[in-house]
Amino acid sequence: MAESIKQVIKRNLWYENQVVRQILGICSSLAVTNLMANSLVMGLGLTFSVALSSFTLSLLRNLIPRRIRMIVQTLVIAAYVILVDLIIKAFLPDISKALGPYVALIITNCIIMGRAEAYAQKNPPLLSMLDGLFAGVGYTAVLLLIALIRETLGFGTIFGYNINWLGMDNWTIMVMAPSAFFIIGVLIWIVSNRQEKKKGR
Amino acid sequence: MKNGYLSTIVFILALSLIFGSALAGVYAWLKPTIETNNEIAEKRAILEAFALDFSGSTDAIADRFSQSIEETEINGLSVYQLKDETGTVTAYAVPFSGSGLWGTIRGYLAVSGDLEQVVGLTFTEQNETPGLGGRIDEPAFKEQFRSVAIDYEAGFSYGESGSGQLDAITGATSTSNAVLQMLNRLLQETLAGWEVP
Repeated sequence: MAESIKQVIKRNLWYENQVVRQILGICSSLAVTNLMANSLVMGLGLTFSVALSSFTLSLLRNLIPRRIRMIVQTLVIAAYVILVDLIIKAFLPDISKALGPYVALIITNCIIMGRAEAYAQKNPPLLSMLDGLFAGVGYTAVLLLIALIRETLGFGTIFGYNINWLGMDNWTIMVMAPSAFFIIGVLIWIVSNRQEKKKGR
Repeated sequence: MKNGYLSTIVFILALSLIFGSALAGVYAWLKPTIETNNEIAEKRAILEAFALDFSGSTDAIADRFSQSIEETEINGLSVYQLKDETGTVTAYAVPFSGSGLWGTIRGYLAVSGDLEQVVGLTFTEQNETPGLGGRIDEPAFKEQFRSVAIDYEAGFSYGESGSGQLDAITGATSTSNAVLQMLNRLLQETLAGWEVP
C-alpha cells in the first residue's frame, strides 16, 4: 500500500500542494512574501521543521499513546521550530530581524501538524520524512513564486538586485499583504483548473 | 497497559525531558553568538548615528567603537559620547523608544556636543511594514536628519516635498509620525533638560 517515492514527490509538489491545493500555511504566505530572501529562509525553515518532525513522530508512532498524540506532536514540532529560530538568530541575524516573529510562528503552521496527523502517524519514518520534505519544498516553491511577482513589481528587485531597468514606478499594493491574497487566488484558480481539466471534466 | 494513565504520564514526561534538555544544550551553545550579534548590531547603529564608518567585520566594529566612544550617564540616562583627540565631547548618542504602527521602535539620536544640531539617526529595532514603514531604516530617510538644527520649541516636523525640510515616507504616514513623536518627546523631555559644559 505504501506510496513510491515518486508518488510522494508528485503529490506534494503538485496534486496536493500545501498552499494552492490544501490552502494551508496561508498566513505566512501573505506575510513574508514581499521579498524573495525572506520567503526562501521561511520556506527552508519550514521544510526543515516539517521533515524532521514528521520523521521523529513517525519513529515514535507506535509508542505514542493515542489520546495525547496531539500534545506530543506539538511538543516535537515546537522543539524543532525553536531550534530553527535559534540557528537563524545566531547565523543570519539580519534575516532574523526581517522575519520577526514569523519563524517562531512556524509552530502554528497547519502544514506541519497536518503532515503529522495525515501521514506520519501511519507511515514509516523515511517515507514520512520525504513526505514532509516535499510538502515543505512545495510550500517554498509557491512562496518564492508569489515573492517573485511581489518583489519585482513592488520593489523592482529580485533577491535585492535591481532589475527595474525601465524605471517603472513601484506598486505600493504589492508590498502590502493584500496583494498576496490576489496572487494566491489566481494561482489556486490556475492550478485547480489545470488539474480538473486533466481529470477530463 | 499501553494506554494506561501512568504510562501516558511517563511517556510525555520522558519526551519533554529529552527535547527540553536537547534545546537547552543548543541554546547554551548558541547563546554567546546571539549575544555578540545583538551587541555588534547595537554598536553598528551607534557608529552610524555618529556618522562614522559602520561597515566591516565584527572585530573591526568593536575596535572602532572602543577607540572613540564611551558610555556615560547624564541625568540618570545612559548615553554614548564621542570624543575627539583632545578629549572634548563632540557628540552624544541618546537612545529613544516608542510604539510604531506594529511594534516597538528603538534607536539612537546622535546630537552635537553643544546640543544644537542632529548628527545622525539610527534604528536598532523596528517591526514596521517591510517596504513601507520599514523604510525608516533606509538611508533615504535616516540621512535627511544629519546636520538638522534642533529647535527645542517647535521640535522636528515634516515639510512639503523639496522644501529642504524633513520628508515623511509616502504610504507610511503612521510610522513616519510615530518616529517624529518619539524624537520630539526625546527633545522636550530629555535633551531640553541637559546642562552640558
